[in-house]
Amino acid sequence: MPTDVDAGATAPKRGPIRGPQNVVSGVALIALSVFAVYLVSDLPQGTLRAMGPAMLPRWLAIGVGFCGAFLLVIGLVRDGDGLEKWTFRGPVFVALGIIAFGLTIRQFGLVIAGPLALVIGGFASDETRPRELVIFAIVVTAFCIGLFRYALNQPMPILIVPGTSIHI
Amino acid sequence: MSEIISNLGLGLSVALSLQNLALCFIGCMIGTLIGVLPGVGPIATIAILLPITFGVDPTGALIMLAGIYYGAQYGGSTTAILVNIPGEATSVVTVLDGHQMARQGRAGVALGVAALGSFFAGCVATVLIAALGVPLTKLALVFGPAEYFSLMVMGLIFAVVLARGSILKAITMILLGILLSTVGTDLETGQERMTFGFPPLSDGLDFAVLAMGVFGIAEILRNLEHTETRDVVQATIGRLLPNMAEMKQSAWPIVRGTALGSILGILPGNGAVLGPFASYTVEKKLAKDPSRFGRGAIEGVAGPESANNAGAQTSFIPLLTLGIPPNAVMALMVGAMTIHGIVPGPQVMTRNPNLFWGMIASMWIGNLMLLVINLPLIGLWVKLLQVPYRLMFPSILIFCCIGIYSINSLPSDVIFIAAFGVIGLAFIKFGFEPAPMLLGFVLGKLMEENLRRALIISRGDPWVFLTRQIDAVIFGQPVGIPLSGILLAIAAGLLIIALLPSIRKGRDEVFVE
Repeated sequence: MPTDVDAGATAPKRGPIRGPQNVVSGVALIALSVFAVYLVSDLPQGTLRAMGPAMLPRWLAIGVGFCGAFLLVIGLVRDGDGLEKWTFRGPVFVALGIIAFGLTIRQFGLVIAGPLALVIGGFASDETRPRELVIFAIVVTAFCIGLFRYALNQPMPILIVPGTSIHI
Repeated sequence: MSEIISNLGLGLSVALSLQNLALCFIGCMIGTLIGVLPGVGPIATIAILLPITFGVDPTGALIMLAGIYYGAQYGGSTTAILVNIPGEATSVVTVLDGHQMARQGRAGVALGVAALGSFFAGCVATVLIAALGVPLTKLALVFGPAEYFSLMVMGLIFAVVLARGSILKAITMILLGILLSTVGTDLETGQERMTFGFPPLSDGLDFAVLAMGVFGIAEILRNLEHTETRDVVQATIGRLLPNMAEMKQSAWPIVRGTALGSILGILPGNGAVLGPFASYTVEKKLAKDPSRFGRGAIEGVAGPESANNAGAQTSFIPLLTLGIPPNAVMALMVGAMTIHGIVPGPQVMTRNPNLFWGMIASMWIGNLMLLVINLPLIGLWVKLLQVPYRLMFPSILIFCCIGIYSINSLPSDVIFIAAFGVIGLAFIKFGFEPAPMLLGFVLGKLMEENLRRALIISRGDPWVFLTRQIDAVIFGQPVGIPLSGILLAIAAGLLIIALLPSIRKGRDEVFVE
């Protein structure tokens, strides 16, 4: 289980970077802009009279790139906020829980996907008590099946056992 | 005037049907519930409940969704007063004086005055929507593509100016939002843009996916980082109804808060969030003894609470009359309307008068319900607030997963919300506010469509946005008004004003307080 990792350089930095937050955002935005321009590079731009599919995305991406460049310059010349600390436990477990749900809902149904997402996701908090979480996951899943499938009539597979004809 | 009354009469007859009353009640209850629970916002909730409304008729669906939105404004204040943390973004300022009042054993009065103020604001806002609905709709009918495009540009500039923090970052987020809206099949040429050849992307990104990731999941991630200590007021709540002296003290703040909130709510952008801040600042400036603020001044609860409720309701005006959603919640309403085959815009009022007036009348009924259901249930809300976050967040997580899956039955949508959640967290950490991006995303498709249309009509002449004139009659004289140009000029003027150093300082101060 990963513990909290200090990913950001939060210590005051010397050197040309005076606003690390702005510099990193600027660089990321420029990269994104270049990427988007590349993605639409094989589409026609058209003319103003008959705009092609690439015109708007291309110019928007260029706009984003300009904003990024501007932020980068600001970060280099003006003192700004430092980078914030990232703790990995939260995002990693929450994302894994959601992905587990996405991967299992169609193959196995909510009976499997629900507790899986709840238990994996539940570990995102460092206050989690495993036994409580497992019981809670089962109760919440049962509640969700009752609420979404039966009370609200949502199309939601409840239980599928691959290789058999069990398909509720 | 008589027209308004007859229209509201029609609305009441629709809203008072048994089914719609029940839906309004359910909406208000769910709204209050999520308003009370910190970390669950109206955006995620409405996104989750969107597919559930498929089975209901459109009027009922919108009545319920609207109830969730303004119900959340009521609920948010309960948490702010009792627990010292805002239940909703709009009740941030209520924390300052509301919780102090609770500490002094006046929690009941604070809750009572918040509810009464909200009710008054809700009534005024309902009448305002009814009154502005007809003229604005008439105005919207003369709009061509050029005017629509310029209006949306102005709306986005408003969102930039009203957003918190850096103006440059807000502009970036808007551009990014519009850029994201262009992902998917180009409507006119049928060519795929930025889809990586991945089939689920050819329809474009789903708005609900983006909203739930950036608001719902990112909010969970942010809350997980700092474990807040909840100090639920243990002292008795006391009497709920304010006495005469307290009523007198809070009457004008309620009126002023309602006015400020109504005006700011109509503006696109973060209007409903800004209202309470503005109201608090005004009350503090007007007070004979400003030092009382922050120590349990009843005006500091009455004004902002009225403002947030008024703003929440008047933000329906641009959506219902012009078809332009002014914030993320209204953007979801667009989704709800589109699902039911209703295109938001000026034609809603003429083609679906039952829906339009029914929804407006239901807001008044909903406010009345909230006043009645909210106060007796305070004990229940206090209990709910004692549920630890370690159990609450997995529940929110699973609701988000199920909700998003039930929209399109696509597992890829579920995985996308995880990705957008992490991206949303990164935005917050780097000082970018996600709300303008959502607005850009929603308006993006409409803007591209209108931009193209306007340019086709003008044969590729971009000056059409400045020069196109609309025929109007002023004092009996037919005149041409360059409406599109005026809208763009307002947008440019706003941006320049917001960038002036002295105004920028003032803007920062409003948000700091």
